Amino acid sequence: MTQRTDDFEVPLWRLGILLSALSVAGAIAAVQPIEFPHNKHVAKGLDCIDCHITVDTEAAAGLPSVRKCMLCHSKFAKTGPGVQKLLVYSKQRREVPWERVYMFEPEAQVKFQHAAHIWAKVECKTCHGEVEKMTVAQLAVRHTMGRCLTCHRERHATEDCAACHF
Amino acid sequence: MDQQDTKPHRWGMAIDLDRCTGCEACVAACHAENNLPLSTPDSAAKGRAFHWIRIDRYYEGAFPDIKVKFMPVLCQQCDEAPCEPVCPVYATYHNAEGLNVQVYNRCVGTRYCANNCPYSVRFFNWFEPVWPEPLTLQLNPDVFVRPVGVMEKCTFCSQRIKRAELEAKQESRSLRDGEVQPACVQSCPAEAMVFGDLNDPASRVSRLAQSGRATRFMEDLGTQPKVFYLKRGE
Repeated sequence: MTQRTDDFEVPLWRLGILLSALSVAGAIAAVQPIEFPHNKHVAKGLDCIDCHITVDTEAAAGLPSVRKCMLCHSKFAKTGPGVQKLLVYSKQRREVPWERVYMFEPEAQVKFQHAAHIWAKVECKTCHGEVEKMTVAQLAVRHTMGRCLTCHRERHATEDCAACHF
Repeated sequence: MDQQDTKPHRWGMAIDLDRCTGCEACVAACHAENNLPLSTPDSAAKGRAFHWIRIDRYYEGAFPDIKVKFMPVLCQQCDEAPCEPVCPVYATYHNAEGLNVQVYNRCVGTRYCANNCPYSVRFFNWFEPVWPEPLTLQLNPDVFVRPVGVMEKCTFCSQRIKRAELEAKQESRSLRDGEVQPACVQSCPAEAMVFGDLNDPASRVSRLAQSGRATRFMEDLGTQPKVFYLKRGE
């Protein structure tokens, strides 16, 4: 993601969509068991895929396990209040019960695949907003079928119903 | 996702009736893969049994010289599908890969399609599907569980087609013949079923479909099915 933030050639339409979505959905805040600061981790040079490791191979992007967090946090940055909470989870050998920020309603009957979108070179921020500037991940982009289809049409991707609903 | 420059697939199936032993492994595999509700003797008696693929039995001769012949029947993915024009909400349509697709969230449950299907391979969810306790843990996450009030039918395991397409894309190659296998094809112990791309003249299914043994089920109706039955020897 660090390379991507330098990219100033963000198309205007994408900014427009982002702004309109922010005005609609930006106020909804997720409360997490640990106030995970995305911005700090990205500033340290981590990429989205470093923690959400199945994003380019599976349907779900995946969340890192506590063990994965501890790979770094057992060695450095052990003092912050968030990390202290993480240490408790690690000692109790429990996973962090993260709240979901983005999800399709079951009624939407969507089988979304992250991997297909990564391989089509869709940037994370197209659908998730500028997470690198957020602390706790917030719902920045409303995932409606209109938004999906707009992008699919622009990129000449499939518009077949069965591509997502099956 | 650039699919314009590549020739679209046209999925089809060939079923060798000489090889089919009527073991119903395909039926069991289909139930497991596609989250089908359980069909009990009770539901069957009411005509509400769910089988996206079923084994039709034909008896020849009189007892004791009787011969049973088996024929697996699934959605024939007709090119001129009778189910499609009768749907008032376009919940069933033909996609670019020749699949006859059922869109569950569009379906309003008129059941016209099932009444117009000559093969009786469409099933209506009269009730919310329920599974006895341990079976809820084996539901396939890749397939949606259809709610009450919608029609459903064989999809040629489109979730498997999609997965294989993605894997091929990740390895920057095109799909190999035989790489996509619906659950029924994969489970057939006699290898009676062959699935593949009818647009590829070299694929196994194309060669079988063009062989002299191939016939199609109720072809005279003009439905142009994409399931080819290989005639049995006498």
